[in-house]
Parts: sequence; C-alpha cells; structure tokens
Amino acid sequence: MRSTSMLQVVSLTIAGVVAAAAVHADDGLVLPDGFTATVVQEGLGAGRHLAIAANGDIYLAGRDGLVAMRDKDHDGKVDETQKFGDVQGTEVRIYKNWLYVSDNVGVYRYPLKKGELAPKGARQTVVAGFPLERQHADKTFALDPKGTLYVNVGAPSNSCQEKDRQEGSMGQNPCPILEKYGGVWVFDGNKLDQTPANGRHFATGMRNAVAIEWNTAQKALFAVIHGRDSIDTLFPKLYNAEDNATRQGEEFHQIVDGGNYGWPYTFWDTKLGKRVVAPEYGGDASKEPEAGKYPTPLVAYPAHWAPNDLLFYSGKNFPEQYQGGAFIAFHGSWNRAPEPQAGYKVVFQPMKDGKPSGEYQVFADGFAGEMEDNSPAKARYRPVGLAVGPEGSLYVADSQKGRIWRISYTRK
Amino acid sequence: MPRRVTLIACGAVLAAAGALRAEPPAAAPPASPTTAAPTEDPGKRLYARHCLSCHQADGGGVPNMQPAIAGGVWVKGDPGALASFVLTGGFDSAQRKESAVDNVMPPFAQLSDEDLAAILTYIRQKFGGGASAVDVAQVAAARAKIPR
Repeated sequence: MRSTSMLQVVSLTIAGVVAAAAVHADDGLVLPDGFTATVVQEGLGAGRHLAIAANGDIYLAGRDGLVAMRDKDHDGKVDETQKFGDVQGTEVRIYKNWLYVSDNVGVYRYPLKKGELAPKGARQTVVAGFPLERQHADKTFALDPKGTLYVNVGAPSNSCQEKDRQEGSMGQNPCPILEKYGGVWVFDGNKLDQTPANGRHFATGMRNAVAIEWNTAQKALFAVIHGRDSIDTLFPKLYNAEDNATRQGEEFHQIVDGGNYGWPYTFWDTKLGKRVVAPEYGGDASKEPEAGKYPTPLVAYPAHWAPNDLLFYSGKNFPEQYQGGAFIAFHGSWNRAPEPQAGYKVVFQPMKDGKPSGEYQVFADGFAGEMEDNSPAKARYRPVGLAVGPEGSLYVADSQKGRIWRISYTRK
Repeated sequence: MPRRVTLIACGAVLAAAGALRAEPPAAAPPASPTTAAPTEDPGKRLYARHCLSCHQADGGGVPNMQPAIAGGVWVKGDPGALASFVLTGGFDSAQRKESAVDNVMPPFAQLSDEDLAAILTYIRQKFGGGASAVDVAQVAAARAKIPR
C-alpha cells in the first residue's frame, strides 16, 4: 500500500501543481490533506452528471438512464436507489422544484415533490428537436436564477474539415456547422415545448462545452471546452504525436453574449502560449489569427484531458480557500495515444471575482489506477460529474462503473 | 479455431527448437542473433500511425467513442469484408446497440494496397487470435468493388 501511495504522489507532482496529498479515501483516491472520500453508491452504469436536492437526494443522469438515490440514515451511503424516467443522456440540474435533464435531442423536466424520491409526475418537454447526431451530441446546459436555459450544442465534427477526420482535408470556410452547432443557444427554461428555432444564438466557436455552468456570485456563464483532436494524424508534416498529445489546450472561458471562442479556425497552443490558426485553415504550427478576434482563455488545461463538468464551490464544508473557486472533472484522454494518457482527475481552480487567482491544483486523483496498455477502456474509474450536497461535500460521479464518491473536509 | 491454426503454422519451426508454443513465426530464433537487426513489423508501425489513437494499442477502443476491435468479428472474419470496411469507413452496422459509439470511422482509401494489407494482417494476428494474413490482392479486389 505504501509504495502505491508513493507512486500516486509522484504522478501528481508531474501532472500538475499540488500541495501535500496522500491516500485518504476508499479506492485509493488521492486527496489534499484533511479531506476524505467515501463511496456513496456504485454499479450505476455509465454515469454522467449529478444533481443534489436541498434535502440531500441524489440524481444521476447517464447513458443507462436516470437514477434517484437517498441516504436515509445520513451515514454517507445510499440506502434507497430508484431508476426512473425514460431519458438517457448527460445533464441533470435542479431549478426550483423541477429536475431538468437532457438527452441528445432535447431538454426536459420532471416535478420534484415532497416525499417523492423518483419523480412520479409526467415528464415535460422544455426544448426538443435538436438534430440527432452521434458526435458531441450531449446537450449539457446551465440554468441561471431566472430560469434562463443555456444549452451547449456541440459540433458533430473534429475541426470542420470538408471530410471529417481525414488526413489533409481542409476546413470549410466559413464553417457551416456553426449555423446550428458549436455554440450556446439560450431558451426560457420556464417555457414548455420550445424548438431549437426558439433559441437565441448566444455564443459560437465552441467545439463542445460539456462543462458549462452558471456562476451565481459573478452572474456570468462559464465553460471549459473540449479542444480538437488529431493534429498529428491529420497534418503529419506539421505536427508529431507528442505535439498532438500536448499542444491543444482545453480552454476555460467566461462565455459572454455574442462571444466567439475560435473553433474550428484556431486553437490555443499551450506549448507556444498563444492562439494559432488550425492547420485546416492554413495554419503552419505557429501562425496567429487576426489580433483580438478571439479571446484568450482564462486558463488552458493540458490537451485532451476532456473537461466534462464544472462547478463553482460555495458550500459550507470546505476551507475558505475553496470558496468561489471552480472544480473541474476531467474525464481523461484517449487521443494522446501513443503518448501516455492523462487527465482522469478532478482539478481545483482557485478564483477570485470570476478570474483565476492561482495555478490549478489537482484535487482528486487516482481514479484511473494502473490503466494497463495505456488504454482508456482499462481505466478503473473516470470522473465525469460533480455536485455539492447540502452539507457542502463534493460528490463525484464515474462513467466506468457507475460509482459515486462523497469528498468531505474532515479535519477537526 | 484461430488458435489451433497458429499452432499448426508454427509447429514446424518451433518443434525443431523443442518449444511448442503459440507464438508467431517471427519469434523463432534468428540464424545469427549477433548480426540480425530487429526489423519492425510495418503493420505495427502503420497501425500506430493511422489507427492507434482511436482503437488504442491494445485494440480496446475507447468507451462510447470508438469501438474495440480486439476479439471482434472484423479481425477474425472475412479478410475481404474487413478490407472493404476500412477502405470506405462508416459506422459498423453489425455493432450491437449497447456498444454503439459516437465517432464514425473515416475511410482509409488513401493508403496503398500494400500498407493496408500490412495493417490488416497486423490487427488480425494481434487482435484476431492469429487470424489469417491479408494479402495485397485481397485489398486490391476489395478496392475494385468500391462504387466510384
């Protein structure tokens, strides 16, 4: 055991900035000193996002459907688990007395009523009719306190090539995908039976912003965006496998009305520390786009880490330094192969007044385990969803085995 | 069945060395170990260049994104059907719903018959339990049948 924990501490130090960390958890998860993790529930299938009601009831969305869970005796373990509904997807959020969920083509809601764990009321359609796609199809969303619904409509494409993911194929210019995808559309979350045509095109140039969240304190929308893949296999004369594994940042932005975040024409090159023109659009591995056309990310995280959820912490349990900061669940890479895979961790981003106030810190690690053959399919766990319980603990959902952990600050 | 085929194919070489094991012929000791330079399997090299980032080094794919090919019907089945699928790309219609993935496979018709034959031979031997090699003529025949 001791050698395992040593190894994990070493890998943490390489992967990012970290203070004292040690194994303080079920499953050997590695957390900062003073924190402990317990397994709340397991065996829930391919989990995605999480939401927790004011009474502590836990709701998980996933490719295997929706699950409601209750810890009746408050011992940190779920005692009652109910599958419900007919929605298979990624997002789940609570707004007023409604549970909002989504699948690949729409956003829906169920009434949350006192005494009911799994909602018994009929599902209502908030928006439906998004074109059915396979790539980047999850309709994740955020809700602000007025019920404004911000829907991430991912681009069904890697980089808007004429022929998607084919070597040397050039980019379509302008990229027609951006008319209906690759951005955020805004709806009234209090209205029913809307169609995509009722949505207002709020922001563009976002390949897939799975991790999207409203920051109540800042009254602003934020997202961490999945960057593009395969610069090496598509443009081998410009980039090698190491470049592909390390250069395309996962960009964290404040998403503003009318904003354009640069996909597919550009990406943030973390090696050069600047935005570059994508090779599909005439980039030469260092050429910059027109100055000021696209914003600089608040932070660019390492390539292919796959940011799958974002949460701003304002709970009662964690120490002061975490207040107002962001937790990001990185699902972990696949496109880094044959270079070593990376990600598979929960990161804390210190923030003050809506801006980063320090280097990101690896908050929870050790999910992937040994990951034999550098193979994502052999990762033990992959963090994918985040929520805060009424007591202030951070809950993390996994997509490999459908496990949920509760991470609490337990130092007295 | 594929395992048995491997054993028979290797039998003649390995029996002489007194070690009857299921290893490909390449594992047989070279005539002169001190002078023989290790030659990299071109199929392995080309797999790494064109296929590995999606299907991974172990052929295990990526959950929900790209399918596993190891142990699957394509690498064990008809070489012509495999060549045809890789040349044209697309979604694997034989895939079961519960293992459906998001990403479509791009066509690899830009690769030469020789390179494709090397890749397909490599994946059939490594991930298909030693399934038969794919020769250049089989790839060329599959290419000739693609509608233009």
